[in-house]
Amino acid sequence: MSKKACFLFVNKEYTLDGIRSALGLAVENMYSYGVIMYNEFESISDYHKENIEWVRDMEGDIFTTVDANVEKLGLTKISLEEIGQKLREMDVIVPYGIMRSDKS
Amino acid sequence: MAKSVGIFVTSPRYMRHVVGITKAAVAKGSKVKVFFSWYSTHLTQCAEFPALCKMDDVDVSICADSYKNSGYDVNDIPQGLDAKKMATQAQHGVIIDDYDCYLTL
Amino acid sequence: MKLLNVYRSEPNDDVKKLVEIVSKDRDVVSFDLNVENPDYDKMLDMVFDADQTICWW
Repeated sequence: MSKKACFLFVNKEYTLDGIRSALGLAVENMYSYGVIMYNEFESISDYHKENIEWVRDMEGDIFTTVDANVEKLGLTKISLEEIGQKLREMDVIVPYGIMRSDKS
Repeated sequence: MAKSVGIFVTSPRYMRHVVGITKAAVAKGSKVKVFFSWYSTHLTQCAEFPALCKMDDVDVSICADSYKNSGYDVNDIPQGLDAKKMATQAQHGVIIDDYDCYLTL
Repeated sequence: MKLLNVYRSEPNDDVKKLVEIVSKDRDVVSFDLNVENPDYDKMLDMVFDADQTICWW
């Protein structure tokens, strides 16, 4: 049975490459999810947009707690409570990179 | 038999924990796999990195794309690694699928 | 379900909330890596004993 993994992204400099890691697990036949917390992205490259689309095509998703990312990037909105519930379903939880300094 | 341990490293801050946990795991008889991704590939420049790679029962690899995107030349293979260990995110999948315990640092 | 929460730094309020939700109705233990000399041997015993380990930032 395919495993489920969820990445948590809390630092802007680590987020887009982290999504590439999430795609990497999707390619390995896992259900792979990511959540962008705290940080707003004005725009991202076509390469990174494609990575997000590929994650979605492989039955994963990239969520965000930030409204602007829903509007500008078309990401799926999620609340902190919903993240917690989602994490309960996961086999692997990846608090990715480093916590942003003003939230640690 | 001791459980095996896979460590997915994404932070450049915790080399002491990577080394400490790996040494303790090997001392318990565990097989350990460590995969460095994104800015954690800066840890390849640490003095402890080659020794980590040389440890028995420890498999170390890094994400070559991360290494390149962190400012390094992929042809400049870090001491302790060989070209086969300049790898892809599939190594993370191996950790999850083939190792008993999963840690991220 | 035995869950081990490992802390690499002092958790903020959001991390505390996530830990609370993830930990609810589970057999939960924690280990603090954010000390000068962590007991890695003890930590690994806890990792081996757990069904899942989450290493928070």
